[in-house]
Amino acid sequence: MPLIKKQVIVKNKSGLHARPAALFVQVANKFESRITVKRDKEEVNGKSIMGILMLGAEKDSVIIIEAEGDDAQKALEELEKIITNEVDR
Amino acid sequence: MQVMEFLSKKAIITDIQSTKKEDVIKELVDSLIAAGDIEKRCRGKLIESLMAREALGSTAIGQGIAIPHAKSDCVEKLVAAFGLSKKGVDFDSLDGELAYIFFLLVAPQDSAGPHLKALARISRLLKDKYFRDTLRSCEDDKAVIKIISQEDEKKI
Repeated sequence: MPLIKKQVIVKNKSGLHARPAALFVQVANKFESRITVKRDKEEVNGKSIMGILMLGAEKDSVIIIEAEGDDAQKALEELEKIITNEVDR
Repeated sequence: MQVMEFLSKKAIITDIQSTKKEDVIKELVDSLIAAGDIEKRCRGKLIESLMAREALGSTAIGQGIAIPHAKSDCVEKLVAAFGLSKKGVDFDSLDGELAYIFFLLVAPQDSAGPHLKALARISRLLKDKYFRDTLRSCEDDKAVIKIISQEDEKKI
């Protein structure tokens, strides 16, 4: 199973608050791949909204998205878009 | 940031009577007004903001938890009310389950940081199934304060 990861900077104006977190999880769940998100020492399941909220990732914080599975590449691309979207949703 | 730093001790309802989303929100807002955390004149506008936020996407994040939230110029610092429903409320949850545990957050208008930290903190505590179950079984506000305080101390 391919495992790929990418470091991204949160660009959403208010950080990864409830709405972007919900969107992230919704998209993550479309994929078969296992999704993990890391920030500092914290490591959470990218398919769990509580996990993403737990990161408390504010604007300009650095997170690492890790995807493992056959659709990992596509998953990572779509998830990165959510994180780097500057529009506050 | 600990939950007890922003949770209003006088705004804890362990037996929410309402069964509709908007009524639950009103019940929780009224508890903050009764506790003296929010002025009564702010009630209408605050409920409107909370409902507008729900319209963008439910704040019921799954596992029986909902965190309705809004910004308001009626508060100078983040404040929260807590509620438990025994029957459960259809809150249009992301996982389709009923909501039993409610944290209603009101943040100052010009803030983003404290709100995000509060969400992170609540999630950290509630991620633990044992804690969720214990919280749900609380019969009065004293029990709620006790177990949240204990968990706050445990999870730094």
